[in-house]
Amino acid sequence: MKIQNGYLDLIKAAISDFKRSKIRTFLTSLGIMIGVLSVVLLIALGIGLKNYLQRQFESLGANLIIIFPGNISSSEEGGGLGNFGAGFAGGANFDEKDYISLSRINEADYVVPLFMKSSVIESDGERKLGYLMGSSEDSFKILNLEILEGNFFTKGDVSSRAKKAVIGESLADNLYDAPQDAVGKTVRVSDQRFKVIGVYKKKGDREQDNAAVVPYRTTFGTLNPDETFFTIYLGTTDKDKVEEVKKKAEEVLLKRYDKDDFTVTEQSELLSTINQIFNIVNGVLVAIGSISLLVGGIGIMNIMYATVTERTKEVGIRRAVGATERDILNQFLAESILLSLFGGLLGLVLAFLIVLGIRAFFPASINLFSVVITLVISSGIGIFFGVFPARRAAKLPPIEAIRYE
Amino acid sequence: MIKLQDVCKSYFLGDTEVKAVCDINLEIKDKEFIGILGSSGSGKSTLMYLIGLLEHPTAGKIFLEGKDVSKLSDDTLSKIRNKTVGFVFQSFNLINKYTVLENVLLPTKYAKGILDFDAIKRAEELLKKFGIWDRRDFFPNKISGGQQQRVAIARALMMKPKIIMADEPTGNLDSKTGDEILDIMESLNKDFGVTVILVTHEKDVANRTKRKIYIKDGQMVGKYL
Repeated sequence: MKIQNGYLDLIKAAISDFKRSKIRTFLTSLGIMIGVLSVVLLIALGIGLKNYLQRQFESLGANLIIIFPGNISSSEEGGGLGNFGAGFAGGANFDEKDYISLSRINEADYVVPLFMKSSVIESDGERKLGYLMGSSEDSFKILNLEILEGNFFTKGDVSSRAKKAVIGESLADNLYDAPQDAVGKTVRVSDQRFKVIGVYKKKGDREQDNAAVVPYRTTFGTLNPDETFFTIYLGTTDKDKVEEVKKKAEEVLLKRYDKDDFTVTEQSELLSTINQIFNIVNGVLVAIGSISLLVGGIGIMNIMYATVTERTKEVGIRRAVGATERDILNQFLAESILLSLFGGLLGLVLAFLIVLGIRAFFPASINLFSVVITLVISSGIGIFFGVFPARRAAKLPPIEAIRYE
Repeated sequence: MIKLQDVCKSYFLGDTEVKAVCDINLEIKDKEFIGILGSSGSGKSTLMYLIGLLEHPTAGKIFLEGKDVSKLSDDTLSKIRNKTVGFVFQSFNLINKYTVLENVLLPTKYAKGILDFDAIKRAEELLKKFGIWDRRDFFPNKISGGQQQRVAIARALMMKPKIIMADEPTGNLDSKTGDEILDIMESLNKDFGVTVILVTHEKDVANRTKRKIYIKDGQMVGKYL
């Protein structure tokens, strides 16, 4: 018959000790739980934010070149974040002239200007917050939009400043009983009325799904008094032409603007810049979250020291019946590891529930990496903060321990 | 079986060296029933713990079955303690959060390797022998002192040790119960051939043993004074 001081025995002994002091066990684990919860949640939110942005960009087609004002990152400077402060704010105000000049680039199959602002959109007495997008007929192709009902507007509609709108499924659903009902209705944005000629299918991009897309020239006037665009997209069907289109677009814009007034970038480049920023932000957040893990670890260490003192006599007894220093060390180490693992698992479960709850609004997610890292970090904390008290227990002189009252 | 050669054990209290025991030369034969007699603070318990391998001597050598064990590693000493020595203490020293049965089984948890007996069966045997099998699921603080000491003896015997060391085993018991415990000690020696080393300050208790050693101020003296 084999009775061993194996791992299973250690775990059993530790658990039965925890059962005898439930409140202490719970409170000690609480520190780790909060630490793990904050770290896992921050990672989950970071992933969510990334997913959100990625989805936004992926809803745009591939081989897409994006031009926007300001200099967010210039490849000449190594694609760094150096001038990020100048990004988005300031810089060039693109207008129709730029759009027309860029349209002359032969290699670009589509050139799409985009004016966008959040607006209250009204129809049939309903008022909903949505987005007004002024663009060209190619916007539907470049944004990969599919028609649900009706039609998209045409090049003719753009030049004739037709008061027509194509709206997103979510917006249509909000305004009318069924999204299909929108076609033929009139929507009002500020003082302008547009006839809805089509509804496009939703794609999971909140802005796009809640937008009313109208011919850009129609917005000139009250809706877009400066007659500018926030972004101009260039698309090409041939991936190999992306670099050339980028170069030509830069040449065209350099005739009117300074190098630092605009950015010509690819979707993938922009995405990697944004990822870079988020990795840094995320790292900082996780580092802050880790402080609570550290505090939790110190809590475990504290309680383990108390436990060792409290159980000095027990250590002496065990030593007398044949426990080695290592046996004692393992016993206390097992307890601190289990304590922090328990806290870690609690934190993980709680984080999981919270993420489930917020998923309705935000694509946060817990990945395998966070689970693994949580388990590794919690056991690491258990070992690191448990080893000192456990060593103290192991090194207790048996005689003194056994006489301890 | 056990031989102590010029054994000394000293402690440091601050900078002062305190000699707990010194110049001990002693031989204990197999199956002996021996009493170590001395007043409180005389060093008799230290001597017992030295013989029981719970302490390292600061000088001299301890031989167990001809082998010098005074310089062995903690691992080896723990293993020898586990297999060869059983301790019985004045204050019983049971683990209060464990049941009687769990306490008796405790030494088997530290038996490295495979036991050549069925642990549960042996525990049952011992507890039945001492009339406390019906108390097996009780916690130590729920049974009487005499019963606790029986549990402690059962625990000491669990690994079939060759030596039992008892440090004032009757000190916390009334005289009747104390006598019963001493009867058990005697029978362990007589009927089971276990070497029993009994540490006490009471002459009457020591008189139950076959040979007496007197300790005074950490040294063996010819006569108990």
